[in-house]
Amino acid sequence: MGLLLLAAIAVLGALRRWRRRRMEAIENRWRNALSQAAEDPRGAALPTIGTWDLPHFLEAWNRMLESADEQTAERLGTLLGLHGIDERALRMLRKRSARLRLAAITAAGHLREPRAWDDLERLSQHGGPIVSFAAARALLRIDPRRALDVLSHSIPARDDWPLARLASVFETLGPSVVTNPLITMLLRRPRPGLDRVVKLARFGQPEKISSIVRGWLGSSTDPDVLMAALACIEDRADLPWALGAADHPEWRVRMSAARALGKVGNREELPALLQLLRDPVWWVRYHAAHGLIRLEGLEPHEIEAMREGARDSFAADMLGQALAERRWA
Amino acid sequence: MSGPVAFVLWVLLAYLVIVNGVYLLLHMLAVRTVREKVTLRPLEGLPPVQTALVPPVTVVVAARDDAEHVVDRVRAALALDYPQFEVVVVNDGSRDATLEHLREAFALEAFPEVYWRRVPVKPVRTIYHSRLHRNLRVVDKERGGTADAINAGVNTSRYPLFIALDPRWTLRRDGLRTLVEPFVDDPATLAACTTLRIDPDGTAALESGPAELPRSLFSRLQIVEHLREPLFVRLGWARLNAALAVSGSAILFRKDAVVESMGFRGDMLVEEMELVTRMHKLWRAKGERYVVAVVSDPICWARPAATLGELRANRMRWQVGLAQAMAANSELFGVRHGGVVRWLAYPFLSWLERFGPAVEVLGLVLLTAMFLLKLLPGLAFVAFLALLFALGFLVSMSALVLEDASFRLYPRWGQSARLAIAAVVENLGYRQLVAFWRFDALLRWWQTRR
Repeated sequence: MGLLLLAAIAVLGALRRWRRRRMEAIENRWRNALSQAAEDPRGAALPTIGTWDLPHFLEAWNRMLESADEQTAERLGTLLGLHGIDERALRMLRKRSARLRLAAITAAGHLREPRAWDDLERLSQHGGPIVSFAAARALLRIDPRRALDVLSHSIPARDDWPLARLASVFETLGPSVVTNPLITMLLRRPRPGLDRVVKLARFGQPEKISSIVRGWLGSSTDPDVLMAALACIEDRADLPWALGAADHPEWRVRMSAARALGKVGNREELPALLQLLRDPVWWVRYHAAHGLIRLEGLEPHEIEAMREGARDSFAADMLGQALAERRWA
Repeated sequence: MSGPVAFVLWVLLAYLVIVNGVYLLLHMLAVRTVREKVTLRPLEGLPPVQTALVPPVTVVVAARDDAEHVVDRVRAALALDYPQFEVVVVNDGSRDATLEHLREAFALEAFPEVYWRRVPVKPVRTIYHSRLHRNLRVVDKERGGTADAINAGVNTSRYPLFIALDPRWTLRRDGLRTLVEPFVDDPATLAACTTLRIDPDGTAALESGPAELPRSLFSRLQIVEHLREPLFVRLGWARLNAALAVSGSAILFRKDAVVESMGFRGDMLVEEMELVTRMHKLWRAKGERYVVAVVSDPICWARPAATLGELRANRMRWQVGLAQAMAANSELFGVRHGGVVRWLAYPFLSWLERFGPAVEVLGLVLLTAMFLLKLLPGLAFVAFLALLFALGFLVSMSALVLEDASFRLYPRWGQSARLAIAAVVENLGYRQLVAFWRFDALLRWWQTRR
């Protein structure tokens, strides 16, 4: 058995080396053709792409498209159309192999191929995490507004779609495209998934988004909702909500309240911040101390006096740390 | 053959078949991981992660009496390529000039930082901030051991993920970016472990791509051993979310999970192995979904042991660490919602891996004695040795096939051939020697325990 495996290594190794050399030769020809096509798709001499080589070709084409500008992308797309490869890629969307599907999904996205819409929509709803996410990304390339409408339930709900990657797609689409769909999602307050939408909200237009989120202040006791709303406080008119949240049983809400009080508060909010400075949770005390230093109209010597006169040593120490951090900044 | 002789033979046979069978099964499970990786290679890093939403990382550097190397170690940590990270150096009551060297090299100044003692540790004396690097802090504490020092780093950490660097291995400069991916892709991830690769001359850790094979057969034997067990066996367990015995390489932890588990235990020789096993136990008992991921990319490298003494110390350390971790978490076998960890991984590691070296060594000695006393026919003895060799060779070759089909760190013909030779030679004394050391370690652990 061991010897058989030894033989398998030798045979597989030989096969792989042969394939690699062959692919390198073919890829060289493709590369030349793709470079020509980037200038003039009709003049490019693309060799015939066999069935076995098609996924490999599409992967190479996709790689090139990831970094291509708008005009080059259009020309490279034309090249596929001229050789009927776009049709073949569309058929690949229905293959069982994940590799074939992924190559076809990505290509359909780059081609902004409306004929792929139904297949991509189906894959985005029913595929596994990787296929569905790739399909969602392709839909967002083809028609971002329509795609955001279609995906507005999946984006909060599918926690298997990596948020940090989804965020980079949102960032690429730009605030003018994503703001309204984000508002729709925020107004729906999806549970679970609201935290995902709130994190994505930073890629929308802040003035529109924050007014919606601030509106939650009086209408929810949910910690995630409150934290998001407190982070959007820009106006003293909203301070009563922040003062109310300073007593919330969830420490993350109290921490957000401390931040909000420091951001827009003045001397009047001093008692609330002093109370938060005695909180049992380190992070609440930390943000209360920084909030206190930021308070409008409070002089440094007053804060220093407060620190020296504090009866609670935890509060005094935290204030000392915040003052030192401010000096070092 | 008499009854007792047949009994010994059957016990050994059953042990060999079960252990190697499980290894092969785990290799087969690892194939799926490897296949997925190959399928996804064209999509790797697409779309890129948005750096604002990538969790920041605290890098903990524990130092004790390390005046000679500590500055270089901290510089290496500061040079990591990651969007947002801080370095927390913990001076564990050094009696040499460790703290003075740090102070001088990084312009440290005592800072009135409020220390948050979430995990119990020896008292902290002073926290320093660096005037040169805004993301560097140094914690000076009373001597308490490595686990205690890392716990102090956890207490001081401001970020949700942390990793404790160890001078025994090197993390590739961009390794954190790879290691954080399980956390980005699945918020239920508690820890992400790397798999250690052998780097003969310290260059492989600098960049990705094919590696050089060491010239000495001794180092190549260690490569085969690493491919077989820590790499593909670990990937197989990870497929079942049952990677317990992870140690000796970089592990990125979710800090709140470590705090909830009460941190690293100072009485463990391989503290990270025990902590990961404990996390499995706690999260299984809670019935909450969690993931302990294993990252297969070659991002964590170590030099091979240069001498037999060094190799012996490594293997004995691992064996004692395993025995301690399994003994300390024996409740895992009775835990509710235990699943595959309770029914397969823990029994395998706790019984077969922990006591396996004793069975191997004693069995071999007994069989040889029985053969010499003519209690065992020569043919049966030779057949047994042949089976021992064949099974060992089979598992090693299976690991080489997997490596060849996936990472291709050693892509050249000559490299494959030299590794295959090492897989043969490994069974002619090397494995038996390692089994003997592990048996020795087991005896010492048993005596200490008593």
